[in-house]
Amino acid sequence: MKMDEKEEVMILDCVRFEEVLPDLDRPGTPGAGLRESALAHAESCGRCARLLTESESLDFSLHSLAVRDAFREAPSRVEAALLKRFRLEKGLAARRRLQCQLSLLGAAAAMLLVVGLSFHQRRLALPSLHSSAPSAVPSPQQPVGAPDATYVADDDGAGAFIPLPYADDLDAEGGTIVRVILSRSALASLGMPDAALEASDQVPADLIVSQDGTPQAIRFVAQDELNQD
Amino acid sequence: MNRATELTDDGLFRRIVAGDEEAFALLYRRKHPAIYRFVLHMTGNPAVAEDVTQEAFMTLICDARRFDAARGTLGGFLFGVARNHLRKRWEQDRHFVPLPELEEEIHSLVSGNGASRNGGNGNGSGRTHDQLASLETVGRVRQAIATLPSGYREVVVLCDLEGMSYEEAAAALDCPVGTVRSRLHRARALLIEKLRDSPVPARRAGCVGEPKAVGE
Repeated sequence: MKMDEKEEVMILDCVRFEEVLPDLDRPGTPGAGLRESALAHAESCGRCARLLTESESLDFSLHSLAVRDAFREAPSRVEAALLKRFRLEKGLAARRRLQCQLSLLGAAAAMLLVVGLSFHQRRLALPSLHSSAPSAVPSPQQPVGAPDATYVADDDGAGAFIPLPYADDLDAEGGTIVRVILSRSALASLGMPDAALEASDQVPADLIVSQDGTPQAIRFVAQDELNQD
Repeated sequence: MNRATELTDDGLFRRIVAGDEEAFALLYRRKHPAIYRFVLHMTGNPAVAEDVTQEAFMTLICDARRFDAARGTLGGFLFGVARNHLRKRWEQDRHFVPLPELEEEIHSLVSGNGASRNGGNGNGSGRTHDQLASLETVGRVRQAIATLPSGYREVVVLCDLEGMSYEEAAAALDCPVGTVRSRLHRARALLIEKLRDSPVPARRAGCVGEPKAVGE
């Protein structure tokens, strides 16, 4: 009975010894703290003494290998390739940052432009007098005598008549002034494109129409003048 | 001394993210030998070790935000990346690569006229018995490690050859510390078994240093 108990204790110690054996020289592990106990056990146990010798021999072999390989490293071309790639990537990143900043700047400028134009349009825009049809609808207003060839400003303070590019009948008599609402395309057809206008914007204007019905000059009508009318 | 050389790995990493090339070069020189050796021991192929090392650092260049300092060290991260690249490569290749350097070493030993990679005088007959025994020991243990299953091999390389703690190895291998410990114990038992058939000269662990003399 006593023999069995002794053997059991011995086996238990051997098991524990085997558990901590790989850690005996490894600082910070539980095995390192049990080093003295383990060595003491190995002195009293032939099997564990053999295990200890084998483990130390393995440690020596591994250490020899580690020392032999300690100065092995990748060829310098790897570092050169990586540094080249690093420069490339960082250059691209910097370029991307710059593009991003420029895009933001461009967007801000575009936004300012839009705000400015819309403000300008609001100042010029007049409520639609007649229908909201996009095409120009001439509305005869008042026949007058032939306008002076110089087309000076009217008495009501409206702007001066501007000869249309193809006007060829400026000296003709019997012209008529008609008030119309012109879209941008209609303005363009008269030879006066206005890029600042939206396609759907409409502008009231007075046209001098010759006897044969051809527009000869144009005068834009301001909002307040329209309201007075 | 350059101020960059005094920086920690994390300090260098921050500078790398900011685009500091010098910091990258410094970190590379500081970290790449261990990674190169790790892959070399895992594959036995210098060309693969070179490629995988380069790929690991490429990750740092192109995708640095993958590193999270809260999850582990930068070294552990690089080992993990190298390990993943290695596994991908194994999946692609589906075979183990040969060990040309080991063959060269053995051939050198057998013929007695090969020069050691550590230098050497090119004349094997000029070596002392201890030097030859040491070289033989290194060759045998290298071969024994190369025949271990990869899961065991990597813990031996990280803990016993690169001197990592269990915690560092666990971070690099992305597994619990207990797994590293148990794998290492089993790996060492296997190595002892493999080396038992061709015993190496028995020495106390403290008697190292002679291999360094090889080739000097």
